Amino acid sequence: MSSSPPAPRPRPAFTPPPPPTASVSRRGLLRYGMAGAGAALLASGPLTGCASPAASAEPSALSVWDPFQGGDGMLMDDMIKAVSTGRDAFTVDRTILEWGPSYYTKLAMSAAGGRASDVAVLHLSRLAGYAPGGLLDPFDLDLLAEFGCTEADFTPAVWKRTQHQGTVYAIPLDVHPFIVFYDRDAADKAGLLDSSGELAPMGSPEALLDAGKALAKANGGAGILFGHVNDPAQTWRLFAALYAQTGSAFTLPEGGTARIDIDAANRVVTFMQQLFDGKTNPNNLDYYGSVATFIGGRGGMAMLGEWELPTLRKSGIPLGAAPFPQVFDRPAVYTDSHSFVLPHQADPDPARRREAHRYIARMLSQSLTWASAGHIPAYQPVLSRPEYGKLRPQSSYADAGEVAVLDPPNWFAGAASNFQNRMCQPLQAALLGNIPAEKAVRQMVREANTLLQQPNPVA
Amino acid sequence: MTTTAPTAPTGGAAPTGTPPSTTPRGRGPFRKKDTAGGSSGLLFVLPFLVFFGLFLIWPVAHGLWMSLTDSSLALRDTAFVGFANYAEAFGDPDVWRSLGNTVFFTLITCVPLVLLALAMALLVHSGLAGQWAWRLAFFAPYLLPVTVVTLIWAWLYQPELGFGNQLLAALGMEPVGWLSDESVAMWSIAALTVWWTIGFNFLLYLAALQSLPEALDEAAVLDGAGAWRRLWSITLPQLRHTTVLVAMLQVLASLKVFDQIYILTKGGPNGTTRPILEYVYDVGFTGYRLGYASAVSYVFFALVIVISIAQLRFFRTED
Repeated sequence: MSSSPPAPRPRPAFTPPPPPTASVSRRGLLRYGMAGAGAALLASGPLTGCASPAASAEPSALSVWDPFQGGDGMLMDDMIKAVSTGRDAFTVDRTILEWGPSYYTKLAMSAAGGRASDVAVLHLSRLAGYAPGGLLDPFDLDLLAEFGCTEADFTPAVWKRTQHQGTVYAIPLDVHPFIVFYDRDAADKAGLLDSSGELAPMGSPEALLDAGKALAKANGGAGILFGHVNDPAQTWRLFAALYAQTGSAFTLPEGGTARIDIDAANRVVTFMQQLFDGKTNPNNLDYYGSVATFIGGRGGMAMLGEWELPTLRKSGIPLGAAPFPQVFDRPAVYTDSHSFVLPHQADPDPARRREAHRYIARMLSQSLTWASAGHIPAYQPVLSRPEYGKLRPQSSYADAGEVAVLDPPNWFAGAASNFQNRMCQPLQAALLGNIPAEKAVRQMVREANTLLQQPNPVA
Repeated sequence: MTTTAPTAPTGGAAPTGTPPSTTPRGRGPFRKKDTAGGSSGLLFVLPFLVFFGLFLIWPVAHGLWMSLTDSSLALRDTAFVGFANYAEAFGDPDVWRSLGNTVFFTLITCVPLVLLALAMALLVHSGLAGQWAWRLAFFAPYLLPVTVVTLIWAWLYQPELGFGNQLLAALGMEPVGWLSDESVAMWSIAALTVWWTIGFNFLLYLAALQSLPEALDEAAVLDGAGAWRRLWSITLPQLRHTTVLVAMLQVLASLKVFDQIYILTKGGPNGTTRPILEYVYDVGFTGYRLGYASAVSYVFFALVIVISIAQLRFFRTED
């Protein structure tokens, strides 16, 4: 680019005016000089601005994108280090992006441009917004099998969400459910533990309500903590978990209207209001407020994602964990899954693609490291290792992956999506007592239908 | 009566002062060369023009074009859809709602941000002891980045542990859902914004106050005018231009609100604090519908222009 307008050799600013006979006038010189400088600026701007991951310093390095910061980020580093040594070591060029809606903005843009990283992490719930639009490239299952990773290594509940029209586009690294953490001492005093010292099953809405009261009495503070105020996902997680337990389906058919069992939804939201009544269990906490209250020992139980485990463990309270308790007809746990994907590349190099498959298989075998932060490894061979069984309290909720419920698949749904945020608005209003349950459900259906009416920007 | 005397000479001086500047423009012979030099002048501003064109003209034009297409963040193919996006925007209740939120925020922040800043500047200027401390205290929050400000206030507004509700509890009052109550949240954000940004307006007013000529004030004192009379009839009228500037800048700044709301409430509770710019962000970057998001932002752009023109007219007629 910089070669197009030839910059004159003498630097214009310091050149004495050329004699009148010179072919290049002073003004011409200035003109060329400026054009040259401008071109140089233009050339350097875009190139440094969006250096494609593939064009990194080391051409053979495998470029990977993920949104893991903090504790998760360090564990991911450890895993990458582990596969970067010894025979057949990988050279990995890792890019950590900020977690949130913007992660999926960047990932989609890079894939739409066809110059994405070799491997990226995607929430399985976002697959429907990525695979149909050609933003992901499919996996070669034979190649994966060659490196020791097959369908049989994953639970069916999770595996069935890795596909679009029968083709596999994602390989799950973990399952990260929305669970309950509890204070063992308080739960013991409240009589909620079974003979093995684990949280006993609830079985009915009333049982969970009673448990809240008993916990509140046992620790003198609040019973069950749930932080949701102005959080764009929490109330949706709670609703989705409870709603799935009623056995009803919530689907978002493309081009249609939302299909939801209104009665079941009303029942769930009403129960949520009863549970977080603002007396036994506070209804006005925000996310960090609930974590802080639980860490401060002023609550017997907290409904949180398992990813809060490292934070909670540091607090020193006697920590227990359990899958989200079944209170309606069937067990179901709201979850999501960090999965490896191959973001679309316009012109993929077969050798690199092969390396990407091998890398993913190797990383899965490292997922015991990943489990230390609380995530449940999706790769079953790791889950059945005795070392995993010894991890406490992780192994207490390891079964959650078998009853995993994810967002209804649609391009606009999934982790960090507008859909979750929009579902949370009426649910939050209901929990705060601003609107009745029926009205909240009506608004949820309306919001879902509004999104369904929008033209699909990825297909 | 004598207060009018100082204005008379200046009023009289103006007409006599103007003719000299217009008549002896005896540079006729050079005029031709001046226009010839225009192209070299253009060259000197070329670097600026390149960037101006690249980062302002081009995006504005391209955005306008995008608003007429179904442009998507995640797809390369785009189709021309005419005014379909605009039609959708005008019929989209969320556009009107978020636009209403932005206008409401502008109203409830501009008034205190102008009046309080003026009051604070007058207080500091009145010769309060420890002037530097006041100046620092009033201006310091303005230096904080938005993330720090929102972090501080998020904890102040915490329902259980926050200072706000602890204070109310100490006074024996009911706790308030600062950021969770639909009728309170926007006011909480406005309070934070006033605390955070008032320093700038304060500084503009203080600088204007300090540069006011003291002669008028002294004359008024000699004539026996009291402090209120002097404030009302001498200081405030002289600050008029500063007030116009502060008000205009403030309206534009308030209309642009996004960061603190996005970080603090993400537009909640139940959409009551979502400003139009967050809606544009949600639709365009989280929802990938760039074409539609562009159309919404041009609707907003038109509103900003209308408000700016109305403001200009209003202040001009006042002059």
